[in-house]
Amino acid sequence: MATINLVDLKKNYGPVPAVKGINLSVADGELIVLVGPSGCGKSTLLRMVAGLESVTSGRIEIGGRDVVRAEPAERDIAMVFQNYALYPHMSVRQNLEYGLKNRGTPREEIDRRVREAADILEIGPMLDRKPRQLSGGQRQRVAMGRAIVREPAAFLFDEPLSNLDAKLRVQMRVEIRKLQRRLKTTSLYVTHDQLEAMTLADRLVVMNGGLVEQIGTPVEVYDRPATLFVAGFIGSPPMNLISVEGLASAGQSLPLPRGTDIVGIRPDELTLDAPAGAHVALPGTVELLEPIGGESHLHVMLGNGQTVILSVPGRPDIAEGAAVTVHAEHAQMHPFSKETGRRTDAVANP
Amino acid sequence: MQTKRTIFPNKLLPYLLLTPQLAVTLIFFIWPAAQAVKSSFEREDPFGFRTTFIWFENYTRLFSEATYLNSVGKTALFAISVTLLSMSLSLLLAVAVNRVLRTNRLYTTLLVWPYAVAPVVVGILWWFMFNPSIGIAPYLMRGLGIDWNHRIDGTDAMLLVIMAASWKQISYNFLFFVAGLQSVPQSLTEAAAIDGAGPFKRFWTIVFPLLSPTTFFLLIVNINYAMFDTFGIIDATTSGGPAQATNILVYKVYADGFLGLNIGSSAAQSVVLMLIVIALTAVQFRFVERRVQY
Ligand SMILES: Nc1ncnc2c1ncn2[C@@H]1O[C@H](COP(=O)(O)OP(=O)(O)O)[C@@H](O)[C@H]1O
Ligand SMILES: [Mg+2]
Repeated sequence: MATINLVDLKKNYGPVPAVKGINLSVADGELIVLVGPSGCGKSTLLRMVAGLESVTSGRIEIGGRDVVRAEPAERDIAMVFQNYALYPHMSVRQNLEYGLKNRGTPREEIDRRVREAADILEIGPMLDRKPRQLSGGQRQRVAMGRAIVREPAAFLFDEPLSNLDAKLRVQMRVEIRKLQRRLKTTSLYVTHDQLEAMTLADRLVVMNGGLVEQIGTPVEVYDRPATLFVAGFIGSPPMNLISVEGLASAGQSLPLPRGTDIVGIRPDELTLDAPAGAHVALPGTVELLEPIGGESHLHVMLGNGQTVILSVPGRPDIAEGAAVTVHAEHAQMHPFSKETGRRTDAVANP
Repeated sequence: MQTKRTIFPNKLLPYLLLTPQLAVTLIFFIWPAAQAVKSSFEREDPFGFRTTFIWFENYTRLFSEATYLNSVGKTALFAISVTLLSMSLSLLLAVAVNRVLRTNRLYTTLLVWPYAVAPVVVGILWWFMFNPSIGIAPYLMRGLGIDWNHRIDGTDAMLLVIMAASWKQISYNFLFFVAGLQSVPQSLTEAAAIDGAGPFKRFWTIVFPLLSPTTFFLLIVNINYAMFDTFGIIDATTSGGPAQATNILVYKVYADGFLGLNIGSSAAQSVVLMLIVIALTAVQFRFVERRVQY
């Protein structure tokens, strides 16, 4: 049980900055997901919290204690690695016991915790096997088990599901979520997969280029992306970002905040039929129709040459090359400034 | 493991291509070995005019000879010491390099140089350094009150050849240990660090067990080296002396056969050595096939 505080945390590799000043407060028991594209510094940040990477400047507090100079072992954290990092020459049981033995936990206590973890994760029958005799999903469970037997103040996860196949990934995602709810252990979870981030997080930290773009609950981040980067990163298919000139050239005036030159609209907010509210109508040509089960993605090229994606229910009877009119409601538009990359209505309606 | 197969349309060509290698093997290895086996069952008169077939007499004589048994003891001491010393030093160096300089090639390159030095040159090098009259080491040791003279003191002589032979082998072991260490995923030591293990504990409980395939391989190679490849070093430093103190088996074969001209006994000795090599090689091959399991 602990809070985690990061204060202006920075990391340079030689002259190259990897993390450029991050502030974050994690509440006790909260699951925070750090999400962002590859190379944006998520792992570096997590490894600094774990004590595996030195800190260039800034503060890390775990449970109110400054741990910047503490060894990994002294930070009372457990980490789940992307490649699981199970000790290959030890049995599953020995893997689970290793951290407890190193800390001089009494034998009965070790046995109790291992039994409990094995029950929770359903790895009881595998305790005497070696990691190489386990499937990917089972190894993942053992890696989780090694973290929970320690009963640490915080869990750190670095892309723990990215080595699993798609089906197992969804299943393990759900299990991690349930486990974390049950144990109520403060957790930092790193992933580049925005869907994983959305489904797991109490709060999301969207990172880009070593900086935080936005912190908020998944719903907040989805409904009101703070920057152009977040707008393009969260959501699948991504939000359409249409230049204001493109809209203006359609000859329609828009009530947009000052300084807006890009407007974002989610694919499922664009419609072919005119909506009830105030809206703009944009003529275009269908380039591609992708049926994906319950819905279809319609790629439409607008008059200004820009392509937008519409997510429409069912399988509309439209031929590729057909002329259509795309409607966008004023109320669904996210106004951004190209220059600052931020929302322009941030002050108007917070 | 994946193997590349080439299909030859001509039946004769493959054998033709193999001929040079087979010829070399036959002429320089199989033929002399067969000669040695033959000679080991014979006695030759001092002038080389007459040979008599005497069954196992050379062997039975050998194993009742005090000097031969002494040589077996010296060889065991020498081989074990060289193996332990060179392996532990090179492991230490490899760990240091792996720890501090994950990317720096300079130290690695420098540490590999001794391997390129020929055994005889290694011998002469150490002979010079430890020469009781002109060497720098005995001079320094006298300053510390140690009296060094490997020409009269058997223990000093043994120490000298052990040091020289170990020094040469360090590079080879070092390279393998560095490669072995680099193949231990860093995340394992990181996980162990988070699991509360200090640097020593991490090494002995995680890294060292994972190095065991490399260690085992090097163990065999080093025993092989110490027993058979150190002829040049012995010859250039102590020539087996003083008073048989460093007369290891492989040197004794030479001394008895070419200096003492006792061909029969020398041949029997080399057959014994051959059997040891075969045994070691068999162990090594079994290992390469199955690997050490963890
Ligand atoms: N040990 C290192 N030395 C130098 N640069 C590094 C090192 N580790 C990471 N980096 C750089 O720091 C940046 C952030 O890396 P990382 O935190 O691994 O990104 P992510 O986990 O978000 O994909 C990258 O540009 C990467 O190249
Ligand atoms: Mg990463």
